Amino acid sequence: MSLHTRVRREAGKPFWVGMLTGACILALAGSVFGGAVPARASHSSAPTNVKMGGTLTIDNESGALWTGNYSPFNPAVNAESIGIVYEPLIYINVLLSKQTPMLATGYTWSNGNKTLTFTIRKGVKWTDGKSFTPADVAFTFNLVHKFPGLDINAVWTVLKSVKAQGNTVVFAFKQQAVPYFFFIANAIGIASQHIWSKVKNPVTYLDKQPVGTGPFTVSPSSSPQTITYLRNPHYWQKGKPYLSKVLYPAFTANPPANNFLEGGLADWGGQFIPNIKTAYINRDPTYNHYWFPPFGNVDIFINTTVKPLNNKYVRQALAYAVDRNRVSTIGEYGYEPPANQTDVVRPNFNSWYDASLANKYNYTFNPSKAKTLLKKGGVKGSLSLSVINIGGNTDWVSALGVVQADFAQIGVKLHIDNLSQTDFNNRLFNGHFQLGYNASNNSLATPSPYYDLRAVLFSGNSAPIGQAASSDFSRWRDSATDKLLNQFSATTSAATQHSIVNKLEGIMLEQVPVIPVTEEVSWYQYSTKKFAGWPTQQNPYVNPAPYAFPDWEILLSTVHLK
Amino acid sequence: MAFIIRRLEFFLITLWAALTINFFLPRLMPGNPAEAMISNFHGRLNPQALHALEVAFGVNNNENIFAQYGEYLRNIATGNLGNSLTFFPVPVMQVIGEALPWTLGLIGLTTVLSFILGTLIGMIAAWRRGGAADSVLPVVFIVTSAFPYFWIGIICIYVFSLQLGWLPGNLAYNVDGSIALSWDFLGQVLKHGILPAMTILVTSIGGWILTMRNTMITTLSEDYVRMAKAKGLGSLRVMVLYAGRNAILPNITGFAMSLGFVLSGALLTEIVFSYPGLGYILYQAVTNEDYPLMQAIFLIITVAVLCAVLLADVANALLDPRTRERS
Repeated sequence: MSLHTRVRREAGKPFWVGMLTGACILALAGSVFGGAVPARASHSSAPTNVKMGGTLTIDNESGALWTGNYSPFNPAVNAESIGIVYEPLIYINVLLSKQTPMLATGYTWSNGNKTLTFTIRKGVKWTDGKSFTPADVAFTFNLVHKFPGLDINAVWTVLKSVKAQGNTVVFAFKQQAVPYFFFIANAIGIASQHIWSKVKNPVTYLDKQPVGTGPFTVSPSSSPQTITYLRNPHYWQKGKPYLSKVLYPAFTANPPANNFLEGGLADWGGQFIPNIKTAYINRDPTYNHYWFPPFGNVDIFINTTVKPLNNKYVRQALAYAVDRNRVSTIGEYGYEPPANQTDVVRPNFNSWYDASLANKYNYTFNPSKAKTLLKKGGVKGSLSLSVINIGGNTDWVSALGVVQADFAQIGVKLHIDNLSQTDFNNRLFNGHFQLGYNASNNSLATPSPYYDLRAVLFSGNSAPIGQAASSDFSRWRDSATDKLLNQFSATTSAATQHSIVNKLEGIMLEQVPVIPVTEEVSWYQYSTKKFAGWPTQQNPYVNPAPYAFPDWEILLSTVHLK
Repeated sequence: MAFIIRRLEFFLITLWAALTINFFLPRLMPGNPAEAMISNFHGRLNPQALHALEVAFGVNNNENIFAQYGEYLRNIATGNLGNSLTFFPVPVMQVIGEALPWTLGLIGLTTVLSFILGTLIGMIAAWRRGGAADSVLPVVFIVTSAFPYFWIGIICIYVFSLQLGWLPGNLAYNVDGSIALSWDFLGQVLKHGILPAMTILVTSIGGWILTMRNTMITTLSEDYVRMAKAKGLGSLRVMVLYAGRNAILPNITGFAMSLGFVLSGALLTEIVFSYPGLGYILYQAVTNEDYPLMQAIFLIITVAVLCAVLLADVANALLDPRTRERS
């Protein structure tokens, strides 16, 4: 099934440029993200006679009032500017592993995957009228190098140099790190050299009037309570965006944000709403819709250094003792589908999923098999275990309640420790736990199973008990696993990548360092009362949550008045 | 005069103790702000950002704790309270400056209103003891004072905002409104303030009524009140100028104290109504281990309460000659 990107044909560009770009991207995308639907060129016709104008209101609990800072380098605020003000080089849709060229029109890997060259788009202007050039791209990355406090994607742990050359920008790597493409091309918003070179300390700089290349600008009338975005009439995608204004109110807690959405005051929501059918859908059944696409996993991290969890049969037993379907229905209102033991998110990564291997183990709820495995692992009688959890996540609290009941059936008494966020972090990072409930990769949505598997299995980011680990909290240390993960980093061949992931899935199935329980989802509600062009399950052209960046740029450039 | 000097000495010593505790207490919490930020921005932040954040925040730089304490005291003296980590890199004073007016406005005004109304009702209820007002009002308001605040808040939002649609149930001004000196903006602020103010009033007025009523009842049995009534003075005049004026003294102290606590912001109010005030900022500072912001807010609250206590003492001294003579 082919999905065409809904990007307008650029007026005035020769047709053959589009075809050539399209061919290049087709060839390259298929090799880097193997098995994904290849991206078509960014030239396909937009719907004709689209109504221009309209004000769209977003409803997303940001947790705090706006500080009037839109710096793309500051993680506290960059979700409000990366995408619609500061654009990335290439947009990657994590749901389909599909790429759309933005400020770059294409790219090539060379030199044994140690050099990455982007071709930069011509004819783009900053919102202050100056021209956007490859020098801006090189400047942005070198700025992040000069000030390590800005390197929030840690790209300079793998980069050696970034230089502008003609109409390209050349990235030289210290070692092969192909998966970093996702962060370099998609997660970083390009800032302008002519403004940021004058900033003395970019780490503490308050970017109050951001100048970007994107479809919207920040209106000076924005207040701590609401950001107003205005249409950029000189946006490089001619005719887009269709909306004239976007309003983004700040909510400090979930209930007021939910009330706002349920009262029909917003068009696009990113909220967790209990009983969404009664609370939201039934209020306006013709126009109110929701869809929660999965993107990651919520796992039980098992501390593999602690007896008896250091025995793989005990860990396997626990994996057979979790009724994932019940956790999904009862603990998560049925919003989050059950996960599978390979940690590969389905249906997004179905092409990566090794069905035959997974079926051999068949990790479904099987208390008798679990009991047998417990005995094989040397557990005599009943077993007492404790799990740490973030008490503020009420759905995780319910989920663990179900797990507790499941474990009781195999003679394991599970004690649940609902902690504050800081307490939980401290114990999880330092390894002071037996079991811990957390998202695989800090809930980061990524375009292949590699990222979650690396977060869970790569010992390089782990640490001994008593020291803080940044990931691999289970303390899984296996040189064969590390070797596989490093091999994946070095290749752009889809076939090699798939075979590596299959082996990693084998480790997940046999060794069970973590137990994936449910799949995390993006929260997405939308009303078709005023606007059309929303992403849906049938047309998932973006990760549809308002807090997903740079995806929200694509959505806000595509929806239009009915 | 000596009285005031002694009070000031006491004030300064308490202030120093508060500042010291203010410095050490947040640092006893486990973890660091960079880790806290990674968790709080889950889904939007690459976990690899930990190192970059630690550099940006300046944590984990292994400076001697007493050197840090000295720097902290120096900074307080010069008014440099640093950058907030939650709202990095906005200076702490700016964060507080934007939230403070809302808290002062809503909580401050409501506290004053609650005090005035509560005292009046208590006074009248005691004067007409056993009457219709006395039997109903104090009881009703004491019961409402016992309700959990957030419950009343949510019920109010549900009834008046969602079901009836009379009043907005969140924020301080309209979603698409902007801060300006205009009647329209003022109207918005008042409209958005009615529900939170009402809920605070309903839950806090009971205390004032009860204390005023009880002191009033004791005062009414005093000789000078009977003398005033015997002399034929109007009952309103006796109630207010003779009895009320004396009965209000304990309440004044309580009122000064509660003014000091206004700045800690009615935290629940601000969460339930999404009101952009100081209480919610404090909650976020604590959750994010934002040392500079926490310290600044605790400092402000401590100073406010200490000043309030000082004010209460001075007010008592001024209003009640008996305290002056004794010292």
